[in-house]
Amino acid sequence: MNPYLPIIAIGAVGFGFAAFSVVAAAISGPRRYNRSKIDAYECGIEPTPQAAGGGRFPVKYFLTAMLFIIFDIEIVFLYPWAVSFDQLGLFGIVEMFIFIATVFIAYGYVWRRGGLEWD
Amino acid sequence: MNPMNYIYLSCILFSLGAAGVLLRRNAIVVFMCIELMLNAANLAFVTFSRMNGTLDGQIVAFFTMVVAACEVVVGLAIIVTIYRSRRSASVDDARLLRL
Amino acid sequence: MNAPNIEYGILGPILIVLAAALIGVLIEAFVSRRYRYILQTGTAFAAVALAFLQLVLIRQTSSKAAVSSMSIDGVTIVLQGSVLIFGFLGLLLIAERGFQSFTAQAAAIPGSNEEQKALVSGLQQTEVFPLTLFAISGAMLFPAANDLLTLFVSLEVLSLPLYLMAGLSQRRRLLSQEAALKYFLLGAFSSAFFLFGSAFIYGQAGSTTFDGIRKSIVESGGSDQFLLVGLALLTVGLLFKVSAAPFHAWTPDVYQGSPTPVTAFMAAVTKVAAFGAAIRIYYFAVGGLVWSWRPILIAISIVTMAIGTVIAIAQKDIKRVLAYSAIAHSGFLLTGIIALSKDGLNATLIYLFTYGFTTIGTFAIVTLVRDSGGEVSDLNRWAGLGKRSPLVAGTFTLFLLGLAGIPLTSGFVGKFAIFTAAYKSGNISVVVAGVLASAIAAFFYIRIIVMMYFSDPVEDGTSVVIPSAMTVATIAICAVATLVMGIYPQPVISAINSLAFFAG
Repeated sequence: MNPYLPIIAIGAVGFGFAAFSVVAAAISGPRRYNRSKIDAYECGIEPTPQAAGGGRFPVKYFLTAMLFIIFDIEIVFLYPWAVSFDQLGLFGIVEMFIFIATVFIAYGYVWRRGGLEWD
Repeated sequence: MNPMNYIYLSCILFSLGAAGVLLRRNAIVVFMCIELMLNAANLAFVTFSRMNGTLDGQIVAFFTMVVAACEVVVGLAIIVTIYRSRRSASVDDARLLRL
Repeated sequence: MNAPNIEYGILGPILIVLAAALIGVLIEAFVSRRYRYILQTGTAFAAVALAFLQLVLIRQTSSKAAVSSMSIDGVTIVLQGSVLIFGFLGLLLIAERGFQSFTAQAAAIPGSNEEQKALVSGLQQTEVFPLTLFAISGAMLFPAANDLLTLFVSLEVLSLPLYLMAGLSQRRRLLSQEAALKYFLLGAFSSAFFLFGSAFIYGQAGSTTFDGIRKSIVESGGSDQFLLVGLALLTVGLLFKVSAAPFHAWTPDVYQGSPTPVTAFMAAVTKVAAFGAAIRIYYFAVGGLVWSWRPILIAISIVTMAIGTVIAIAQKDIKRVLAYSAIAHSGFLLTGIIALSKDGLNATLIYLFTYGFTTIGTFAIVTLVRDSGGEVSDLNRWAGLGKRSPLVAGTFTLFLLGLAGIPLTSGFVGKFAIFTAAYKSGNISVVVAGVLASAIAAFFYIRIIVMMYFSDPVEDGTSVVIPSAMTVATIAICAVATLVMGIYPQPVISAINSLAFFAG
């Protein structure tokens, strides 16, 4: 039991302080409730701001950003392959072709469904 | 430098992310906090990889980056759809599904 | 350095489904709208059937694959077979076009002109088929994973399509989108826990493979704090996926908001996959730490059963009732993991196999009860269904009795096996809690049955639609499975008993 004693002590102190603070605030402070007091505190900023220009925002920026992320990140797999591809031999080439083919399938889908058109 | 310090850092980042998910109300910010948690896990993986002297952790970090990117895409798609149909990305407004 | 070796043959079932999903994406891109539905359904059904065939051919396999990142053994075969069967039944429901469950254009704003136009021109939602196939492949990979990395990637391959599918409902778009948002945010939150836990386990074990973790526990005596912290965080992520309390809050909302065919698919397939992965982790990888995780899982199992059964009583929506019932079943299934014995392993697999049929059948019936606007999920409006459509009400009664675990249904076989295993392993407390929870649960299942038969029907336009052959086939298969496995379960039990072994 001995090694757990400090943990229990810290827990008790923490709990006691929290209980004391809540009770003391409830007894001593004035009570004026409003909506913003119940909300979670977020450093005083507007938690969910309206987009500029009356709340309209063009989805195409999001679309471009998403496509960029997806195709950009695939490079991550090419790098370790490129470093050691002479040791991997034919196996490495075949696997990488399969990988590139699946990426191209995604690219074909995006292209045909108009994901690359700006207007 | 003691590699354990990076583990402490990753724990702090993870806790910050988790607190953000629970406290923030903008769906996009909540989502960014989740990304922070994933990156904290990445940092832990890379540090442990260094401590253990095996490469597995670094490989996991690569895959986590890719998975996180896929999550970004799916998440943004869902959040943008919600925003378009109700003009708000507040997770507090998403409360139609109640008993 | 030698090039690694990939065993394409025994990974065949997964690869076939993945390839079909990619073909599905190509069909979406390059085929004109008119032919998409027929091509997509053809590809999907053919792929699942082929994958099942390949699985039957390799059923004797028991080895590691893909540089020991996967383990294809008897347990995997049983679980992958279950996933494929339930995936097939789920696809049948998703392919139903006698009535629309899916929105034609998920990107259109609800109530906008675009949405109306898409509706009037009779556009069909076909992107759901590749998504379903991706989810199936993830679900097949998840229980086969033999290292933490594969486990994480397959978890995401399973989850990401499901987040999107949850938002595709045609009616009540806002509700459906909200379900997708909640599922996504909470799911991503839990996978972050999962990953962070994996990092700590790796930190202690020095390897991400389950064999390495198992070995390191044996060597260190399993007392290292990194390992325990990691296991705790990993457990949080897994318990979220199986919707165990206190991580169950998403389940009712997502089950209610998703299109009902997707709910059916998700309820059966995710449960099989997640419990399959949990079995491999707790039985194989961290079995040496049993004295650390068993007390916690016992507590969680009891709380899950209690919450699932007690809150279900107060629900007024049929899909929410079934969601809480799914939570309670997660509690029952956890007792199989707690048992940590060969009996427990068999019982869990049997339970998952029987539960999947029953739950898909239940949701299939929910898709049939409709009014002019769409599905009627308000429980009060189901009153008197037994007088209007005795056949549908009779089948629904069978499924509810199966969920309740009444003898002569498959639910009883699963429950009996799992509680016996837990009892034999000496964990009496969960068995007592389980039996009590089953008794309470039987109450609300029987309340629905009483309501269907002994209340007068309300004339408010609620009726049972006649579905196409696909839904009829699904319901028939599920009903026959529920009944036959209840009356004569021996072949299934002995087949699973003989297969269920881990590759060493």
